[in-house]
Amino acid sequence: MKILRAAGVSFVRDGIELVAPFSLALEAGAEAELLQPNARAAAIAARICAAIVRPTRGTVYVGEYETRLQPPQAKRLVGFVDASGFEGGAHALRCEVAFRADVWNLDKSAAQARASEILAVLGDGPYARAIALALVADVALVVLDRPGEELIPRVRRFVPGAGILHTRESDTISPAEPALLSAAR
Amino acid sequence: MNEFRATLAIVRRHIDRRFALDWAMQFTIVAAIAFAFTRTFAHPLIPLAIASTLAAASAAERSHAESLRRLTFFAMPLYGRQLARAHAIAPSLLALAIPAGYAFGSVARVHAFPVELLAAMFGTALVSTLVALSAIFRDGIRAALYVVLAAAAGVAVMLPWVLHAEHGFTLAAALAAIVSFFAIRAFGETLARYDPLPA
Repeated sequence: MKILRAAGVSFVRDGIELVAPFSLALEAGAEAELLQPNARAAAIAARICAAIVRPTRGTVYVGEYETRLQPPQAKRLVGFVDASGFEGGAHALRCEVAFRADVWNLDKSAAQARASEILAVLGDGPYARAIALALVADVALVVLDRPGEELIPRVRRFVPGAGILHTRESDTISPAEPALLSAAR
Repeated sequence: MNEFRATLAIVRRHIDRRFALDWAMQFTIVAAIAFAFTRTFAHPLIPLAIASTLAAASAAERSHAESLRRLTFFAMPLYGRQLARAHAIAPSLLALAIPAGYAFGSVARVHAFPVELLAAMFGTALVSTLVALSAIFRDGIRAALYVVLAAAAGVAVMLPWVLHAEHGFTLAAALAAIVSFFAIRAFGETLARYDPLPA
């Protein structure tokens, strides 16, 4: 089953193409890397795939939900991790986990336990904390914006059946050419 | 999805120590203004204008705007209209500090404050706040214009009462309810269309 399908997706703002057209398909349980020419393009592409930003052209489906038409249903399936991570301390993290548990309608103590378990494996740091937050809900797709390479196999332990998409900056892609999916396994 | 639980969580997040401080500060400043000028401001249009201007400016305040633009809110599995309702509750409660402060200051000075004026100020502050919320997701001149529109709308809805029209107060209350409804709808639409891009 395809958990993420993007067809002819691009993002334009004020007449400037910030994300060149790309297409990809990701199976549940598979991993893929989305290359982009710069950090801003990578961040926007990740947000588009996580149903947070609407593409200017093209369509994105998370599971069976089109992100422009059914964003809440699509977002419910996605754990999104921003490149800036979560900067707050331990107390702020506990508050944020409780907040997410309320919003995603989860059991609070189970969510706190899962976040602690994830942090114990990933180590502490802004990006690891953001991953812990993203994975407190049971997600089918994990979108990581420019993660460290070593993190991906460790994230997989917590979401064995989910698709994992991560973005990366690549000098080999010029802004004019399509930034296609480089690998899927 | 339990929308009520999600709404409550967002409201709790907004109502923190800083919110309490803002509420107290707004109340105190308006109370001081009322205490000093309540005899001078004999016409009801003046307190209404004060309420609408302060409420609009407070709702669109930039640090408040930045907190609402956080990515966390846009990653949540909620529709724009659901998020709008949740985001509107705390600013609406904050806006109530203005009429409450004004009534407190007036009562302290002249030992009386018309209940109808208090209700009209509540309506004005609420309408201005809800219209001004849409300024949060706009920048520059468009945000400023929204604040001006919000301040004007707050006073405008109360004009039937100020001008002593027949059933003026009822008409003003009905107008305030209608404008508030559409303001929340517009805010929901703004949220649904907003793309949180990286800096």
